[in-house]
Amino acid sequence: MTSAQVYQLFIKASAEDIWDSIVKPDATMKYFHGARITNSPERHVSHGPDGSVWGDGPVLEWDPPHRLVHEWRSLYDPAMAGEAPSRVTWEIEPAGPRVCRLTLTHDQLDGAPLTAASVSGAGWMFVLSGLKSVVETGTGLIP
Amino acid sequence: MSDDDDLVFKALADSTRRLLLDRLFERDGRTLTDLIADLDMTRFGGMKHVKILEDAGLIVSRKRGREKLHFLNPMPIRLIHDRWIDKYTEGPAGMLARLKADLEKP
Repeated sequence: MTSAQVYQLFIKASAEDIWDSIVKPDATMKYFHGARITNSPERHVSHGPDGSVWGDGPVLEWDPPHRLVHEWRSLYDPAMAGEAPSRVTWEIEPAGPRVCRLTLTHDQLDGAPLTAASVSGAGWMFVLSGLKSVVETGTGLIP
Repeated sequence: MSDDDDLVFKALADSTRRLLLDRLFERDGRTLTDLIADLDMTRFGGMKHVKILEDAGLIVSRKRGREKLHFLNPMPIRLIHDRWIDKYTEGPAGMLARLKADLEKP
């Protein structure tokens, strides 16, 4: 396990539609384990379906609809909540007519080994596959 | 996108390239030199394999200073999985996969 994880996929949608699905809570709740996530130029805040705080941290870069960088803390789990913050970078690049390449990099994970293990593999893959479904078809993997 | 699926299956239809992905799974973010170290492979041969894996989206590379680091990107395989193995079959299929792994343990 290294301190960076990279996930890349193509999504048949405009950069603006993909961006909206990443920063708006009504969209994220359809694919992010039910979490309502709000990203603003200042802050990344995530609430679980029960209203508890799952994540809260500064937004480090805000360049709609192409680049969003925010701090990540796994507040949904008591053991992980005490770990050092890591960093999540979303990059949306046009790759054809109404096709974009979305790259998610989760790095600076040296101080968060439990988080690194938790989000790796199925973790981010499930979320990103669901995001693709929501943007392309309007519904997530889980109805 | 079926054209992209073709690239993925073609890239995976080679034991050397699967070995390179296995090595990245063990440790990500490697340079080409590191990735092909102690393999019976020229640098040129390694570059050719990596290019095919990159074209299929199975490897994503990042520049860090003068180095080019290679990361395993599992998303193309996951998307193929999500298309054919839906929620209803995931339980039994996962159970069978675990059974196979358990039975095959030395």
